Amino acid sequence: MLAETMGTTAVRAPSWKRLGSMREAGLVAIILALCIAMSFASPHFLTLGNFRAMLMSFSVEGIVVVGMTILLIVGGIDLAVGSVVCFAMVLSGSLFLAGLDPWSASLIGILASALIGAVMGFFVTVVGLNHFITSLAGMVIVRGLCLIITKGTPLSLFTLPPAFKAVGQGSFHGLPYVIIIFVAVVVLFDFLLRRATALRKVFYTGSNEKAALYSGIRTNYVKFWVTVLCSTLAGFAGVIYMSRFGAATPTFGVGMELNIIAAAVIGGASLNGGSGTILGAILGIALLSVVTSSLVLLNVSVYWQDMIKGCILLGAVSIDHFLHKRKAS
Amino acid sequence: MRTFLSTTAMAVLVMAYSAAPAKAAEESPFRCEPGEKYVMNVMVSGVEYWFPVYEMFKQAGKQLGCETAYTGTPEYDVNKQIASFDQALAQNPAGILVHPMNSDPFIEPINRAIGQGTAVVTFAADSPLSKRISFITSDNIREGTYAADAIATKLGGKGEYAVLENPGQDNHDKRVTAFIDRMKAKWPDMKLVGRAASNQDPTKAYQGLMSIVQANPNLAAVFMPEANSAIGAAQANKESGGKILVMCADVNANILDMIKAGEVFGSINPNQGMQGYMGFMLLWLAKHPELIDPMNDAKRAGFNPMSIPFVDNGLSIVTAENADDFFWDKYLKRRGTKGIEE
Repeated sequence: MLAETMGTTAVRAPSWKRLGSMREAGLVAIILALCIAMSFASPHFLTLGNFRAMLMSFSVEGIVVVGMTILLIVGGIDLAVGSVVCFAMVLSGSLFLAGLDPWSASLIGILASALIGAVMGFFVTVVGLNHFITSLAGMVIVRGLCLIITKGTPLSLFTLPPAFKAVGQGSFHGLPYVIIIFVAVVVLFDFLLRRATALRKVFYTGSNEKAALYSGIRTNYVKFWVTVLCSTLAGFAGVIYMSRFGAATPTFGVGMELNIIAAAVIGGASLNGGSGTILGAILGIALLSVVTSSLVLLNVSVYWQDMIKGCILLGAVSIDHFLHKRKAS
Repeated sequence: MRTFLSTTAMAVLVMAYSAAPAKAAEESPFRCEPGEKYVMNVMVSGVEYWFPVYEMFKQAGKQLGCETAYTGTPEYDVNKQIASFDQALAQNPAGILVHPMNSDPFIEPINRAIGQGTAVVTFAADSPLSKRISFITSDNIREGTYAADAIATKLGGKGEYAVLENPGQDNHDKRVTAFIDRMKAKWPDMKLVGRAASNQDPTKAYQGLMSIVQANPNLAAVFMPEANSAIGAAQANKESGGKILVMCADVNANILDMIKAGEVFGSINPNQGMQGYMGFMLLWLAKHPELIDPMNDAKRAGFNPMSIPFVDNGLSIVTAENADDFFWDKYLKRRGTKGIEE
């Protein structure tokens, strides 16, 4: 299972067969089916503009999904990501308003987010608390910090210099920087997770921590750094949001963690640890975005949208689970 | 443009009393007893909306020589708000101005408070089945109506519009429904082409509006019943050509800057100051029914004669012309107070 999850097979099969056997193939098929159905239902769905809009809508969240997926693989979970995204925004924003240049302010925001991850990692690996309760406390504490920093008032960052705003709002030959950053993060971590020896330890630790420990892996060390990585990526996403919206609101990201975790799990990450891929998780968040966009384009009543969205997601995950199980047997 | 709607005649009378000279005030019955305390109770207590409400609540308290306190839960959780309400009630205050997150869960706590002699007035959200004395709010119907008129007038009465919603929150739903109803009734050439749930989330607002724009490239305006969504909507507008009038309700520093920069067309803002001031007055009056002897059956039937069921605190339409008057930090600096921390 481990080899399959990591996208490697013992015997080289033809490339199309290898593609078909990948964990993500089912999800790709579901998304494609949904896109085809939508292209008949709405003439506005299959347009470059709509796809760009959908991609833009989940690109920054996608960066958080990357960190969450790796954390889920190691057997952890981080309920504080939404708060950390907000924290990075408001800390960087307030430092900027205090006179610091936005780049340095953002760097401090990201480092402070990493520090939050380190504190949570400490409680998990040294104190011995589990990720769930530690990050639950982290979520509340960090949200409180956001309120303390902002005094409950959204920060207006209208004076951010154009060069900084360009990160979130600009583009390179028509391709938004946000998408470029998102793709770079995804490709980097997907590659590392599939190929790098250091990140294979994440799978070993998540699959069977005791066995990994006996085979010489410092599992606490792995868990600590993955927790730090997840918070750091959340902080990184936070400063991109700040650049994108030119604002930092103390309520930003409330409930975001559920969307992030849902995307990772839809993409094949297990809540018990040991399995998951970055590509799968990104397909998961893409599916969420396609469904949301479709419901709006079809003018579905807002009172029905959540229920229909939930049903479609449940159906999609069930089909994917069924396809995966059949392949495995 | 700034439009204040009328409040009740009672409001004028009470303000006239409270503005009386100091000497007259000493002899006036409009004074608190030592230790007479009034509290304000809210959910998500760190949110800026409440601060101007409390500022004028506090002001009214000072003018009448009463103690005031700001209480509530920082969370969006009705259980936790009820717990904070109960904690405030345990101190036996003279009155509580409460924003009940949900109406029915507050029936029992409010009735219990009334039972122990604490006056309760609801503001901005109501618990109509409870025994609360009064309810003060901006008229959500009027807010939606004014927003529709402002947009339609700007567009010459013709064009396509969309709404971003927060389904399930009563006052937001009312604003959206009133907005659409007004368009249908008064502006028949304004066509509703899209609705999306943004749930006060800028990222959802961005995606919702972008999707609507894909299907409706001639979209001319979008309305949302709160401020957070306007951040995402304005960004979506920028990326799709910047031709859409973005209008919201409520303000904060960021929205005000966006209004000044022309990224947001305008906002409908409830008159929070009057909400706090009149909220206090309603509580104080309810606590002092001995001041009047009306010709009715209240005394015999056991009702508080000093109760006004409903007060409209009015609203303002905030545009680039008057946005400077709505910055909380400037207001606080001008007043020289510590806001909710006193």
